[in-house]
Amino acid sequence: MRPTPASFTSRLRSPAVAARVGVWLGICFGTCFLTGLVSHYAQLPTHPVPFPTSPSWGYRLTQGLHVVTGTAAVPLLLVKLWSVLPRLFESLPPLGDPRRLVLTALERGSIAVLVSAAVFQLATGLANSSQWYPWSTFSFRAVHYAVAWVAIGALLVHIAVKLPVIRDVLTSDIDDTAHDRPSATVRGPLSRRALVRTTFAAAGVAVLATAGGTVPWLRRVSVFAVRTGDGPGGVPINKSALAAGVEDTATSPDWRLEVVVDGAVLRTLSYDDLRAMPQHVESLPIACVEGWSAQGTWSGVRMGDLLDGVTGADVQVTSLQPSGPYRRTTLPANFADDRRTLIALDLAGEPLSLDHGYPCRLIAPNRPGVLQTKWVTRLEVST
Amino acid sequence: MRARGGLVVVGALLMAYGGWLLLSRQDPGQWLEVLVWLAAAIVAHDVVLSGLLIGVCLLGSRLLPSPWRAPATIALVVWGGLTVAAIPVLTRLGARADNPTLLDRPYVATWCVLSIIVALAVLAAGRVRARARADDPV
Repeated sequence: MRPTPASFTSRLRSPAVAARVGVWLGICFGTCFLTGLVSHYAQLPTHPVPFPTSPSWGYRLTQGLHVVTGTAAVPLLLVKLWSVLPRLFESLPPLGDPRRLVLTALERGSIAVLVSAAVFQLATGLANSSQWYPWSTFSFRAVHYAVAWVAIGALLVHIAVKLPVIRDVLTSDIDDTAHDRPSATVRGPLSRRALVRTTFAAAGVAVLATAGGTVPWLRRVSVFAVRTGDGPGGVPINKSALAAGVEDTATSPDWRLEVVVDGAVLRTLSYDDLRAMPQHVESLPIACVEGWSAQGTWSGVRMGDLLDGVTGADVQVTSLQPSGPYRRTTLPANFADDRRTLIALDLAGEPLSLDHGYPCRLIAPNRPGVLQTKWVTRLEVST
Repeated sequence: MRARGGLVVVGALLMAYGGWLLLSRQDPGQWLEVLVWLAAAIVAHDVVLSGLLIGVCLLGSRLLPSPWRAPATIALVVWGGLTVAAIPVLTRLGARADNPTLLDRPYVATWCVLSIIVALAVLAAGRVRARARADDPV
């Protein structure tokens, strides 16, 4: 027997519930979209409008928000879709009415795109936050970005189509039945108000249970956070030296840091040479796209001191990693010129651990963690 | 009305831009896997999860005496929502032997203990409600 909308009799499956949960779902998706744009912009090698270096915790905040609102969206989306499920079983208009047929196909097609894109974004985003990549061919970063535009576009179309209903149900009492399906007459185990409150509570619980990876005082309650936040120097690790394939080259006595200006080697520094230069201490966060972040006390040599007064130029930073998209990164000029930007040798008063980038790593304010290049071996500028 | 039309146009343009990004930044082999994932997202929700929920609600309405239904529903929404969000950490499929700072909590054990606590809380809340009803017949 094929179900029809009339098979669903609960009064809870109603536009009144869907719109109230939907408002917060929309806020979460909007926040995810905007903070995602910030993250993608920050990761561009060159910025048409310079990405600011202050506040140093800016990216920590936006990317933390990105993952927190994405997590909160999971229970909100599940209840939102549950409340409108009967619509999935509505019959199509008669074949003799092509205009209605086309309109219905467009509306239901846009809903299919919205549901698909929304579930896809939350599933791939959560998987990425735990460094789990169950897909084999596509690039997470490129596809999560592209589908974000599809999802936000489909959401705008959906809001536009439903606006009269949304306005009506939000301005009338939650138990008003004007927009209910005729079959939605059976009282649920909860009132509508209680279901909406429970859904918000579920979103809050999901946030508390996972946000400890970026909000230190939540660590003890965040039992489902991807990371406890522990690690060498109080900072977790994203990619180990073993995974990067640098264990031998990073610990070799032959390691040198080369500084190249306009194609000519300006200086070649050993680890001891770096230690002999003036050391500066900065408290800066590491904030990763996966949503975790941690404040560290770093010390090392100022980028400006290594470049010998060259300012206003982008710096190409090369790592010992033999391959990978982040082997060579561009440090934009405004970051290179910032006095807080270091080639760090120590974290929390101890020499960097191998997994944190020994012998030396880049640490700059307000920058995605993936661009805080570890195991640095070469700095290049063109004036 | 005009504002709604404008919103539809803007939304359609954003969707088209996303589609163009997909087509231009991935090659045909990758498109196919993205499409499979997008279709799987609909099946996972509209068929698997929704079917499961309809079954659970049907069972609950048949088996659970009425005082227990409200607490069970609250537990289903809160605990079920959290469990879905926690799938990546519960399965630990992203764990790596060379990185002990990743997925470094006893997720499954915590989930089991908390599930028992949630179940006991539902039982207790139902009993309180059943007693209150027995004391105060309407």
